[in-house]
Amino acid sequence: MAKAKLSSTNKSKESIEEIQANFEREGYICNSHIATAIYLSQTLEKPILVEGPPGVGKTELAKATSTWMKKPLIRLQCYEGLDEAKALYEWKYGKQLLYTQVLKDKLNDIISDTSGLEESLESLHDFDDIFFSEKFLEPRPLLKAISSNEGSVLLIDEIDKSDDEFEAFLLEILSDYQVSVPEIGTISGKVKPVVFLTSNNTREIGDALKRRCLHLYIPFPDSTLEEKIIISRVPELDKKLRKHLVSFVQNLRELDLKKVPSVSETIDWGKSLVLLNIKTLDPVIVRETLNILLKFQSDIDTADSEIEALVRVSLNETK
Amino acid sequence: MVDFLRDFIKVLRASDVRISTSETIDAMNVASVVGLEDKILLKESLSQSLAKSLREKEIFEECYENFFKESYMNFSSPDDKKDDKFNDANKDIDSELDQDIFSGEEDLESMYNDSDRTALMSSMALASREVGLSQIRLFTQTGMFTRKIFEFMGLEKLNNDIFQASREENLERENDLKELRERIRLEIRDYVEQQVKLRTSQSGRQLREEALSQVRLSQVDRSDLAIMINIVRKMAKRLVSLHSRRKKKANRGQLDVRSTLRANQEYDGLLFETVWKKTKVNRPKVITLCDVSGSVANVARFFLMFLYSLSEVLPHIRTFAFSNKAGEVTDLFETKDIEEASAETLLLYGGGSTDYGQALIDLEGFIETDIDKKTTLIILGDARSNFGDPRTDILKSLQEKSKRVIFLNPEPKGLWGTGDSEMKRFLPYCGKARYCSSLKDLERVVDDLLRMAF
Repeated sequence: MAKAKLSSTNKSKESIEEIQANFEREGYICNSHIATAIYLSQTLEKPILVEGPPGVGKTELAKATSTWMKKPLIRLQCYEGLDEAKALYEWKYGKQLLYTQVLKDKLNDIISDTSGLEESLESLHDFDDIFFSEKFLEPRPLLKAISSNEGSVLLIDEIDKSDDEFEAFLLEILSDYQVSVPEIGTISGKVKPVVFLTSNNTREIGDALKRRCLHLYIPFPDSTLEEKIIISRVPELDKKLRKHLVSFVQNLRELDLKKVPSVSETIDWGKSLVLLNIKTLDPVIVRETLNILLKFQSDIDTADSEIEALVRVSLNETK
Repeated sequence: MVDFLRDFIKVLRASDVRISTSETIDAMNVASVVGLEDKILLKESLSQSLAKSLREKEIFEECYENFFKESYMNFSSPDDKKDDKFNDANKDIDSELDQDIFSGEEDLESMYNDSDRTALMSSMALASREVGLSQIRLFTQTGMFTRKIFEFMGLEKLNNDIFQASREENLERENDLKELRERIRLEIRDYVEQQVKLRTSQSGRQLREEALSQVRLSQVDRSDLAIMINIVRKMAKRLVSLHSRRKKKANRGQLDVRSTLRANQEYDGLLFETVWKKTKVNRPKVITLCDVSGSVANVARFFLMFLYSLSEVLPHIRTFAFSNKAGEVTDLFETKDIEEASAETLLLYGGGSTDYGQALIDLEGFIETDIDKKTTLIILGDARSNFGDPRTDILKSLQEKSKRVIFLNPEPKGLWGTGDSEMKRFLPYCGKARYCSSLKDLERVVDDLLRMAF
């Protein structure tokens, strides 16, 4: 029994490392935490709820997963007022109307060889089913993801922006991976999609939804991880400058800011430094480009007085 | 494995992490997928299936460390023999619960003397399950549970042996056995104490929270502040979820014929889609004037904490603080941490001798342009104006301009109007005047406020 356990642990550790390596190849650098979540969601077939401050790569994670698994990424951006018709399916009303017109012309042909009202009604009834068939169904992201036979990566982005009602409606889909269309029946695909939900925590997600998901919290990366991310995203950046840049941003995050700079902003900053052809970090350059990192005037004011010290610290730290 | 998980989840629940049955099942699945060998991997995986918010993750981390540091069953020890033994013990209890296993059968003496700690430990674990140790809630129960576990493990047989030894006048054996009994008792006691620590550290707090929410705010001790803040957050969260739903209901209107026709043009004018008129929800506009001098300060602090925790349903609040003169502190609360902001408010405006007249004059100057028929003005204070003119005429004009005026007074009604209290003179101009001194009162007031707003 103990041996069986040992092998299962080893097996999962191997798979997790493999996932990590695969992500790295796609340019998404992650720690074992994230890889574990992906592994678990695949083996247990459960959606992952990804939370974390904005700009740490929640959406990127889904994108990287889709390129690595070679499955199409289906994205559903949530917003207030998002409803079933926009997320799940819609009937093609126009087409249905057109067909009604056609049917009108053919009506005589159909009921001409029937005798009596009952029989003609009977033959008309058959047309109901034609109107409400999959041909007239306009699939929206959720239905597309679920009915796909090759599997897909479904990204439900910023679920916290949607209404309570939409959240409740997701419950059925996420636990059973099927959709019921009253006129047709339940639809489900051969391969269950890999589902990501992301949230910025502008609103607390309901317990019922949380219960159905694995929960992954992505914090800001530590300096080694962030450096790796910069290597993969901005390979042109000089090695020494990269070290300074990462350490500067890490220290900047310690300040009392309204919105701390995220990973994506570090990347942008790195890119712009490359573009400006800058070799070393100095306070003047930092002050000029600070608006890439900080997005509030009050934050820029706060950081302004600290810049000299921060630059000095980051230069010293990485000596 | 099932056992250890169930136990661990119990500990988590006791620490205020909400875990449902389906999550328990998930955790079991997770554990069987990743196995038990790698503790870090197991921790990461379990954390993803059990702890579902940042706060819960922190608690989880702490519990996990404690649980495995102090855990009696070192299930993932590399020593296979140990592991098997434990599993066997589990199998036993699962399959033969009705049989009288273990108790007294296994010889305590030989177990101890063979220094077979694992056997002793698993026997102890088994016994504690039998007597329901996981139900332990208070540290005063330690003695009782120790005794019960010991009895289950075979205290009687040991006592008999001692008795027999003494009858045979085998002094050496008698003393040995007595010492053994004492050692095992200590061992069990330690174990029980560990369990108490693990399980009750939080449940005591729950009791305390319950009590604190009803205690008079002016009496709250500094050391309880952290707990109080926590309670305020919880209450605020409850109110938010309650009232955000009501907002939705109020949002439903009548059929908007014009937009409906326009929206359905593409369907040849046939009305497939309906568009509803949106009722505009009146977000409550709240202006608060808080007395931050002496006795009222604490109540004011918690009241403000409450209001600012409700920013989801109360987006427009302006706050003024006063003792002898009034000033706006809205910015402080919007930019800083609530605790910090309230401390700074007290520093800026507290300490003076209360003057309601001056405060109302100042307030009128600040809000003259802002006050309208949607505004609710809340005054929080004891209405003790040090015999200065309370300027009720200003309150009257403010009342006429606003939707309503609410007066919250931390003094019980019997004291209103006594001494320098001007409460009786304010009363005619207040739509509502309430005695309000505990968190429960505050919650009621805020709930009322939100209810009226929609």
